[in-house]
Amino acid sequence: MGDKTKSRGFVRRVALDRGLNKVKEMVLELSGIAKEAVRLSIEALKEKSREKIEKVYELEKRSDVLNMDIEDECLTLAALQQPVARDLRFIASMMRISNNYERICDLAQKIAYIAEKTIDKPLLKPLIDVPRMGKLVIEMLEINEESIRTGDTSMLEMELKARDDEIDLLYSQTYNELVGYMVRIPHRIDDAIDLLFVAKHLERMGDLVAKSAARLVYIEEGRRVWIK
Amino acid sequence: MKIEVKELSAWYGSHQVLRSVSMGVRENMITAIIGPSGCGKTTLLRCLNRMHELVDGARVEGEVLLDGENIYDPSVDPVEVRRRIGMVFQKPNPFPHMSIFDNVAIGLKLAGVRDKRKLREVVEDCLKKAALWDEVKDKLDQPGGRLSGGQQQRLCIARALATSPEVLLFDEPTSALDPISAMRIENLMLSLKREYTIVIVTHNIQQAARVSDYTAFLYRGVLVEYGETAVMFKTPRHKLTEEYLTGRFG
Repeated sequence: MGDKTKSRGFVRRVALDRGLNKVKEMVLELSGIAKEAVRLSIEALKEKSREKIEKVYELEKRSDVLNMDIEDECLTLAALQQPVARDLRFIASMMRISNNYERICDLAQKIAYIAEKTIDKPLLKPLIDVPRMGKLVIEMLEINEESIRTGDTSMLEMELKARDDEIDLLYSQTYNELVGYMVRIPHRIDDAIDLLFVAKHLERMGDLVAKSAARLVYIEEGRRVWIK
Repeated sequence: MKIEVKELSAWYGSHQVLRSVSMGVRENMITAIIGPSGCGKTTLLRCLNRMHELVDGARVEGEVLLDGENIYDPSVDPVEVRRRIGMVFQKPNPFPHMSIFDNVAIGLKLAGVRDKRKLREVVEDCLKKAALWDEVKDKLDQPGGRLSGGQQQRLCIARALATSPEVLLFDEPTSALDPISAMRIENLMLSLKREYTIVIVTHNIQQAARVSDYTAFLYRGVLVEYGETAVMFKTPRHKLTEEYLTGRFG
């Protein structure tokens, strides 16, 4: 029926399209906040910077408000525009993604707490794997952003899985290393545990971005995937 | 399947409006037929109880099986088909000067039922099923034309129920009604599906989403997609369905 479909008149859905676009921009903004919070939390830990710790707290507060605004916007669209098909999947998924990103900011805040708690102590060990994990989380967020902007999810699963696997590997490496420290330097077990928490938080962030990518595939393709 | 449509095509003169449509209508379910104006949805509905052929120059090819029997078989009486498959139209069309009671009883009276007690029983039963009894039980002798639009539509549903049909066809039953009356008709359809198989043609896709179990999407006489409503409204398989449902054309 190809030739027959050409003549059908397309209608611009002003209110719904404007709302969907607004949600998209807000989620991209939240993603930017999450990236910044992750980056600053690790720098705060490494550089023992009070200023960066404060900045993370501030970003976390902004993420709470923005997440709530995104939810409000989505609920308004659902109530007033009766979205279906991709529009419905978009709205439902963006609410989940927004929650995931807000959760990433919470975890960054937890890392900032640890940075604050240990600010007067020397680092247990030079931070190498932890910043690498942070960098991977930020990269994953950027890949998702690109897909949110373009609607292209063709490489998403592969790209995200590769990075999430690397984060998991770095986490087990860090875990083993820190257990070694605990055995060798028992009086600094608390510092080793704090650092283990930092690694665990980053590993959890990787999961949250991967889960969000799975929602992006659902939006664009209607397909349920499990990126792990 | 209560009804099976097999390679059904329909024409008005030389203009073909349905192109080899095949689909099954499940028993005690509500099946919605949606699609843009002129896609053939009302024609498809009218083919299901042989009303299409009442129009001059109209023609049908293919089969419609009701409980496995082709209603277009020459041995089948179209009047009997229409008794088993009742229809409710877009605009409420009660007989305006006839009493509420007679509006419901007319089908039975024409079929020769004279027993007054039996008639009263059926009228009460049908008005109750049509959720109208409480509003009209004290004025059954008043003319049907005095009721409100929503009440008139429920009166027409009661009239359709009086001949004990198995299937009810609704052709845009709420498009002439206010939202509250429309919601009453939707609720009524949901309660009627326990006893009847229902097919509804609607322009209102949200209505299809709210009431139907299965949805058929027609475009230019072709059945583009047919499946469970919940699946179609979340993840339509066909791009055309997606575009129609999301209001990109219509």
